[in-house]
Amino acid sequence: MSGMMMGRRGLMLASAAGLSAPRVAGAQAPAVKLGILQPVTGALSQDGEYGRLGAELAINEINASGGLRALGGARIEMVFGDARSNPEGGVAEVEKMQAEGVVAVVGGFASPICLAASQAASRYDLPYIVDVGVSDQIVSRGLTNTFRFGPGFGVVTQTALDNLVALNDAAGKPARTVVIVHEDGLFGSGMARLLNAELPKRGFEVMETIAHPTPARDMNNVALRIRALRPDLVIPSSYYAEFVLLSRTMQQQRIRPKGIYCVLNGAASNFRFVREFPDAANLVMDCNHWADPRKPKTAELRRAVEAQNRFWLYNTPLNYSAVMLVADALERAGRADRAAVLQALAATDGRFERHIMPYGATRFVNGQNQAGQPVNTQVQGGDIKVIFPRDFADAQPVFPVTG
Amino acid sequence: MTPRDLLPILAFAAVVALAPLLVTSNVVLNFLVFTMIIALAAQGWNLLGGYGGQYSFGHAAFFGTGAYLTAILQVRYGMNAYPAFAAGIGVAALVGLAIGFLAFRSGLRGSYFALVTLAFAEVFRVLANASEVTGGAAGILIRLRADPANFQFAERGTFLWVALALVTLALVATLMLERSRLGAQLVAVRENEAAAQALGVDVLAVKLRAIALSAGMTGAAGGLYAQYFLYLDANIAYGTWISVEALLAPIVGGAGTVFGPVLGAVILHGLAEATKSIAGSIPGIDLVVFGIVLILVVRYPPRDLPGLLRRRRRP
Repeated sequence: MSGMMMGRRGLMLASAAGLSAPRVAGAQAPAVKLGILQPVTGALSQDGEYGRLGAELAINEINASGGLRALGGARIEMVFGDARSNPEGGVAEVEKMQAEGVVAVVGGFASPICLAASQAASRYDLPYIVDVGVSDQIVSRGLTNTFRFGPGFGVVTQTALDNLVALNDAAGKPARTVVIVHEDGLFGSGMARLLNAELPKRGFEVMETIAHPTPARDMNNVALRIRALRPDLVIPSSYYAEFVLLSRTMQQQRIRPKGIYCVLNGAASNFRFVREFPDAANLVMDCNHWADPRKPKTAELRRAVEAQNRFWLYNTPLNYSAVMLVADALERAGRADRAAVLQALAATDGRFERHIMPYGATRFVNGQNQAGQPVNTQVQGGDIKVIFPRDFADAQPVFPVTG
Repeated sequence: MTPRDLLPILAFAAVVALAPLLVTSNVVLNFLVFTMIIALAAQGWNLLGGYGGQYSFGHAAFFGTGAYLTAILQVRYGMNAYPAFAAGIGVAALVGLAIGFLAFRSGLRGSYFALVTLAFAEVFRVLANASEVTGGAAGILIRLRADPANFQFAERGTFLWVALALVTLALVATLMLERSRLGAQLVAVRENEAAAQALGVDVLAVKLRAIALSAGMTGAAGGLYAQYFLYLDANIAYGTWISVEALLAPIVGGAGTVFGPVLGAVILHGLAEATKSIAGSIPGIDLVVFGIVLILVVRYPPRDLPGLLRRRRRP
């Protein structure tokens, strides 16, 4: 916001500075407009605000460090659109951004918004960079304008299973029996089906699969069933509120499996859960998006976010990195031209290092970054730590949980 | 009905039809298309709620059925978009008939009928969210192939013409209903069900015909939505948002009038867009204006905007 709030006084100061400064170069290069699409009203507004924050931080950083060098120091100007938590809102904002002449659009957050908005952008060959939306349909439609820097659902679930096996093997195979708890919509049911098919192949025994509705008001029956079965592992696939309820109920009933291992969970990688229910959250593991803790920039960004009294959620680093990706493509394209930017985006490689995600060398195939991957996090002592893969970890896994 | 009666409808159609020729901005065209889709859904609600006095809170059930049928028949069964769209309208009408039969046969009226329709829409939403054929929570995606043969158009202006044609048809149908025997019976049922029955009106048959027409029209709006945005999930198709949109527009614009729903949709969405472009930096400001308009309309009889204006003009 602060960049847009420059009022008359700011303008006068700037022009005064311009007059007094010696002539360094020719005229300032025109600003490059970048569309930032996030749902900041409606059900997804919290996620949208954190996404916008990430994009803002990236744009401010680029502008503060001299703008886009290949474009004569051009500043990036944010054109923000509120997708209001539904696909129509996303499409309407893309049309506005198109009218404003943006060079690319970043964001969307939810898969339905990403699907509709990227399709609207494809009419104008307008580059669209998905920030979060994990649906595998997003990059399987043959749209040449759509790119996703982060991983999709298929990669996340595959990695989650592989990492679970690696984690268990490293600890001397303490876990063998599993109870799956899932919400009964497609997300949870699909995940449960996949786990039921894949876990036995990897040497785990699924003792029971327990479904619950969303929203659920009470988890006592689920918790009692888990207590009776005494599994080594509990794998929940639920949204925020239901998982918080389950973990608190398990804590109250003193049910302590050797591990709680989540996949794309709404709560386990959320600092709100960690701050509000530190005891219930402690040592919960998740396989999800997360920033690379080893990069100094991550810590710097996290400090900046927490200085604003806000939580450190994955939306912020993902959007920060997506904006950096566009900036990198602009630098290589050398001009704010959509076709050139599309070409440059598709040709992104390992030399793109201004992102803060724990990914290897960037390589796009059909718009999907092949290096995009989730990591395993664990809540340890009131903080969310990366425990896996080892290359990116900033803490040792606490597994099996004892006591 | 004389050609003279059709004049206002034709004038409206002509004005909107000129938009793609005069306006190049896709922002405006996109807004008009969406408003037309809402107006069509609202016109459907108006037949049952406005003329028949049966306030449904669950028109999402019909909107969603039309939308899902249009999408599923294309994606899963390889059907062409046009017959799929027609099938969507037909099945939506059948769903309306079924819900109407269950609700009206038991004599449910007023808030009870509203609650039952709401419940049906919710049941459909939950089923669509869990079933395989709808794509469940991951939703269903219609492949983008911009070709008139696929009911997809490269230009938003073309789609506006198609949507406008359907809205115009709906307006004519409403006018015809208003002047028909069924329309008179429907109004009689609205005003006093017992009296209508005493005069020999078959109340159940009248209501059933009305709900089938109403559901078909709202189902057509759902099919249009599917073809325009090419993506559906349970919360879009069967979500409460569309039930609310479908009833707000006629209530604001004038329930039980031919132009009420269209007027309401244009006013509500136009106002929202105007607010957004004036005070765009405050998220949700347009929803505040939306709410204020609704409060004003409901607070001051005759409870719709044209009525308010008429009242002001009177000395």
